[in-house]
Amino acid sequence: MHIPDAFIPIWQGAIYWIIALVFVALALRWARNEMSEEKLPLVAVLAAGIFALQSFNLPVSMGTSGHLVGGALAAIILGSPFAAIFILTLVLIVQAILFGDGGITVLGANIINMGVIGGFVGFYTFRGLMGVTKSMPVSVFFAAWLACLIPALACAVEMYVAGTFPLIEGLVAMGIYHAIIGIIEGFVTVAVIYLITTARPDLVDTGVKAPAGA
Amino acid sequence: MMDNKTFILAGIVIALLIGGVAVFFASGDPDGLESTALVVQGQKELTGSTPEGAEIHEDLTGKFSYESPMPDYSLGESMGSTGGIVAIAVGTILAFLVVLGLAYGLKLINKPAKQNQ
Repeated sequence: MHIPDAFIPIWQGAIYWIIALVFVALALRWARNEMSEEKLPLVAVLAAGIFALQSFNLPVSMGTSGHLVGGALAAIILGSPFAAIFILTLVLIVQAILFGDGGITVLGANIINMGVIGGFVGFYTFRGLMGVTKSMPVSVFFAAWLACLIPALACAVEMYVAGTFPLIEGLVAMGIYHAIIGIIEGFVTVAVIYLITTARPDLVDTGVKAPAGA
Repeated sequence: MMDNKTFILAGIVIALLIGGVAVFFASGDPDGLESTALVVQGQKELTGSTPEGAEIHEDLTGKFSYESPMPDYSLGESMGSTGGIVAIAVGTILAFLVVLGLAYGLKLINKPAKQNQ
């Protein structure tokens, strides 16, 4: 769902940039103050992994492909939505400048969708579901699914405001495609979190205490 | 438990493998956003396959355009999949270094402030 420059007028892109920069500043503050130094390897490896995963377009039928976003993954495993904003912002900058994947004037919008919305939706869905279901895989799966779907719907609204898509048609198509992509995102996120938790339990801090006996 | 070096190395190797596999197996179909653009432009049915010659009409008037050095994660047709592997490997390593560098830099700035407390 990387928006290209051609899809949003420059003035609207500028507004998204300003909003995005506020969150990027908060994410930088998170990296400086909240993120512990021991987590540096995990944060950097996640960036490499998310970049690679995003380059892999998987077929989702209906003549459409999709790749993972990774916002929920970063937010859940590092215990903060700002972790997702920090990592996704830098990955999106590399993609836009080096590979033309996502535009420059619209980079703010892409940061808002995948980093900010993806991170917050992923993180708080996970927190909420953990409280209710007490199941790590179930909570992670739905958090990642929503963190793929909601940013896509936000993107459709932005496309409507930009005059690029009609509202309903855009919402329906973006919603259907990303509801399917989100299922893949859910499974992969569960698998990656399981792998990292097994390899380095000390690096994982989901902020949720493991329930007794689980 | 894995030490940091092994963890980073394993992580990067896995990322590079995913990127390498992507070059050969990634779907050539348009992504969700592009598909939606084709649907709203009447070139594709919502649930149908994407027609061969479908192309997104872009209104570029008054919009910014930028030529990236490695568009579409490739080094151009002539370099083929080798170019694709190089492009994705460069991106993966760069994403790693940029995030590590910035995160480490922010920690360095923070250090003196913490000692004063």
